[in-house]
Amino acid sequence: MKKRGKGIACIFYGTGYGNGFPDVSRAYAELQPDGKVAIYTGATEVGQGAKTALSQIPAEVLGLTVDDIIFINEDTSITPDAGTAAATRQTYNTGNAIKMAAEELKKELINIAVKELGLNSDAGLEMKDGKIYLKILPDKCITLAQIAAKQSEPLRTFATFTAQTVQIDPETGQGAPYWPYTFSACAVEVEVDTETGQVEIIKAAHAQDVGRAINPKMIEGQMEGGFAMAMGYVLYEDLGLENGRIWNNKLSTYIIPTAMDMPEIQNIIVEDPESTAPYGAKGIGEPVMIPVGPAILNAIYDAVGVRMTEIPVTPMKLLQAIREKEKQGA
Amino acid sequence: MELKEVIKARTLEEVLDVLDEKGEKAKVIAGGTDLVIQLREGKVNPEVLVDISDVAELCFIKETGDFIEIGAATRFVNIKESPVIGKPFKGLQEAAGHVGSPQIRNLGTVGGNICNASPAADTVPALLALDAVAVIKSKQGTREMPLEDIYIDRGKVKLEPQEILYAVKFLKPQPGQGLGFVKLGLRKALAISTISLAVFVERGENEVIKNIRIGSGALSRFPVREREVEDFVKGKKMDNTVIEEAAEVFGQVLEKRLATRPPVEKDFKPYAIKGVFKEALNKAWQRTK
Repeated sequence: MKKRGKGIACIFYGTGYGNGFPDVSRAYAELQPDGKVAIYTGATEVGQGAKTALSQIPAEVLGLTVDDIIFINEDTSITPDAGTAAATRQTYNTGNAIKMAAEELKKELINIAVKELGLNSDAGLEMKDGKIYLKILPDKCITLAQIAAKQSEPLRTFATFTAQTVQIDPETGQGAPYWPYTFSACAVEVEVDTETGQVEIIKAAHAQDVGRAINPKMIEGQMEGGFAMAMGYVLYEDLGLENGRIWNNKLSTYIIPTAMDMPEIQNIIVEDPESTAPYGAKGIGEPVMIPVGPAILNAIYDAVGVRMTEIPVTPMKLLQAIREKEKQGA
Repeated sequence: MELKEVIKARTLEEVLDVLDEKGEKAKVIAGGTDLVIQLREGKVNPEVLVDISDVAELCFIKETGDFIEIGAATRFVNIKESPVIGKPFKGLQEAAGHVGSPQIRNLGTVGGNICNASPAADTVPALLALDAVAVIKSKQGTREMPLEDIYIDRGKVKLEPQEILYAVKFLKPQPGQGLGFVKLGLRKALAISTISLAVFVERGENEVIKNIRIGSGALSRFPVREREVEDFVKGKKMDNTVIEEAAEVFGQVLEKRLATRPPVEKDFKPYAIKGVFKEALNKAWQRTK
């Protein structure tokens, strides 16, 4: 018999290394001879979209397009340390460092423009599309390329961002170990075949607090990816560890979900800007995965009344649990 | 043996000549979806590979007299999409559609599925339920045998080194017949069968199950007919009681058969088979109408 059930789960997640551990990101912003701006930072792109999001932030600061940002990372000989692509910290930490370096560069560019244009002050100066101009008299204008040509050395700014976290009291466990926190919620509907133990996820809704969505499409991608990862973790993935030997050591036996297994997911992006974050944006890499597993397990419980306490919930394990429950009931 | 030669055959005659000359040193390759892996793992070491994937004489699905005949090098995708097989036997097409992924179905062949003799071959239970006959050719001539009899053991078939599986054939669907197929895998695509089951039924008067044939995959060392269950059902009137009782019988058969197998089999398959069997039988019965 096929039985349906629904489950929800909510989580909160602390961004960064936390607990007072130094969590530092650094970045350079450098004006190029053609008026483009290079960002140097040690942030690593691991497929999460760091290069895109971390280019959008300085582009926004400097009134440039993403194409005018030359993003240089993953080369430790020329980039400053920006910590690991871990703990969901790159958008927040390195995003902040890049934003600060870009703002510093903007300030310097404006100061140069004031001098070069012979103005009394920087009031009413706009910076857009590679130009700095006076809003009330747009002819008073200088391009970033023109500014670059006047420099004997490349104009370069540097910024460091250190996240604010406090070590918890070892006695009481109280304190503020992380900042900021991210919130996430997931609801799934499953169909359990009580005769074969198979679980099918019929549909899902997934809501993620992002602070501010720097790139909504990438966030959706991360949400779907996190869902698939959690689904594999909870329903399929099994190393088959036996006396220290991994039996499922290839992807034909270590089962992860295919596109055919993925349900339709309604992704909901919740924007509530975080005051200490770059444009309010928080990282979501890990949080997107966390509520999915418990939501699936809760839905299984709702469908067939058994609490699965070991993952993956393989058809064999679930069928045994269902039969056990039927025996007790009989 | 070291692989020395790959012969791209264009005609059946060419294939038979090579097999006749090289005998055990030669191995036939079609889609290669199983064989290439075995070659890489060093499990088979032929000196000569005869590629039959472009031998047109081996790629066909056609009606010949009372039979539907499928050439050995016919790909799963062609079976899945063939208009020849007919709605009552759609179960065979579903079985072909459950093989691996589109990429594998575009390469893999029904003959390979049979001759690789994997217990989890997806199309074989359906062919067994259709009481298919294997047509085998060599330079010496043609012989036929029930597909069921072709298996010796896991990975082993009764083909002489000089022989090739030419085709499989089964009787065309008659009014009142239907074939249902259900596969249980760990996911919806690219999954090796945990259980696969095909049920052929023939509806008699007054809802009597006049005939039933059950082919199973991954329940034995190679795909088999489930005769104890067939015998229990045959001649009975189709209703819920019979379905439930037959499912119980099937479970008991497997409990005995799998008693010494690892827990993933003995603690799972005798129970899961009940749901799979009921679904396959119901599908088959619906197609008799």
